[in-house]
Amino acid sequence: MPSLRARDWAARLHLPTLGALAVVVTVWWLLSLRYGAYVLPSPRAVLAGLGSVLASGEVWRHTGASLYRIGVGFGGAVVLALLMGLAAFLSPLARGVVQDFLAILNSTSVFVWIVISLIWFGLSNWAPIFTTFMITLPVVASNIVEGVANVDRRLLEMGDVYRLSGREKFTAIVVPSTLPYLVAGMKVGFGLALKVSVVAEIFGVTTGIGYIMNYSREILATHMVFVWALVMILVMTAADKIVFDGLSRRMARWR
Amino acid sequence: MAVTLVVSGVGKDYLIPIIESVSFSVNAGEFVCLLGPNGCGKTTLLRIIGGIEPATRGSVTLGGQPVVGDGRHDRRLGVVFQEDRLLPWMTLRENVALVLKPLGMTAPERLAMADRHLVLAGLRGFEGYYPSRVSGGMRQRAAIARALAIEPELLLMDEPFGSLDAQNRRIMQKEVRRIWEQTGRTILFVTHAIEEAVAIGTTLIMLSARPSRIRETIRNDGAVDRAKLIDDLNVMIMEEVERQQGGSTT
Repeated sequence: MPSLRARDWAARLHLPTLGALAVVVTVWWLLSLRYGAYVLPSPRAVLAGLGSVLASGEVWRHTGASLYRIGVGFGGAVVLALLMGLAAFLSPLARGVVQDFLAILNSTSVFVWIVISLIWFGLSNWAPIFTTFMITLPVVASNIVEGVANVDRRLLEMGDVYRLSGREKFTAIVVPSTLPYLVAGMKVGFGLALKVSVVAEIFGVTTGIGYIMNYSREILATHMVFVWALVMILVMTAADKIVFDGLSRRMARWR
Repeated sequence: MAVTLVVSGVGKDYLIPIIESVSFSVNAGEFVCLLGPNGCGKTTLLRIIGGIEPATRGSVTLGGQPVVGDGRHDRRLGVVFQEDRLLPWMTLRENVALVLKPLGMTAPERLAMADRHLVLAGLRGFEGYYPSRVSGGMRQRAAIARALAIEPELLLMDEPFGSLDAQNRRIMQKEVRRIWEQTGRTILFVTHAIEEAVAIGTTLIMLSARPSRIRETIRNDGAVDRAKLIDDLNVMIMEEVERQQGGSTT
């Protein structure tokens, strides 16, 4: 029954939100008439721009380049964060050290890492990768360490009573109780990675969403700045809906 | 009957002495209830016997072997805690099968063993459920199944029905008694509820107020007048409660 299906879709697509969006777009359109294409391009121009980068495949080149840098930087951060979590589990001493280090990293500005990575790595891929790594590491790692610290002692004691080995306790008790913290940390970390790596891409590289946005500004193609902003939002939403919601749902099956 | 558990001169101090000195022995197949006023160290004594924490004084042997309080004993001890302590991300079957891993069974053996003991504990049909999907009483049944599955030399139960309502509590008391009769396991059961102890235990040990010693050991083998026994124990426990309160105010 197509009509029922349509209604189902309408609910899933947040119809009230779409209504509000229609108002925003209308206001945007009216304002664009007054201010002109350089300050505020019209919605139609942005849509056309999105169509053209999709058709030409340019969207994949820059999105791919950004995602690759995020993949390496953020992926590296997750790996190191997991090692830090393991150290925190094995030794309370290590946990204290790790937590202090993360507190310091957490209070360091994005710009510090961008400048330092430009000095160290020059105008290369490694600048955005390193920046992404340094910014997302404390977010993911502090979540994991907190998860490890919050493992229910009573469950570990149960493991001792039944003589489970350290490895059995780790896989059966520590990992499952830390997993929700890991996924929450990765979700926040990935959002941050996308935002940060794009900023770092302004300097020195010739691909990526950050580069192409800055380039569009320089050639006075404001509508393309909007197009790439839209692409970023789409990538973020897709990652949230497909990857992280899926993971959360999988983890919640026993709740 | 053979003596299996020997507790001799066990004492425990934290900042103040909690347990002064407790000695008793348990025969294989006995169902011993440990009674006493709240805060007299019943749970602490059970944890020492279970090798979960060390004693300040004295020793515990099980089957002639000492139980050392560092959690690394190699005895087969089943413990049912006040809370179920099931892993919420595992089904009841997986929870029971998990503790069989150190016993060197294959995976199919573990699952078969888990199912057998879940059925024994009255959970037929619920093997594949997650703990969050069943009632508190059923979770405690699963915890009992887990403790029995390792075929323990000694089954320790620490007020396992404290969080259940009165009706479920009575049902579970009957169930534990049935399981004991069916399996012949040696059970040490901590409770502060006198009716509970009289309903299920074959031997009742009443501890004194803190720092605790054994006040009285009573056989409960059917020949005794249960109503009178409950009255006597109530008088005793009230005396000890008063003594403990008197002691803490000075």
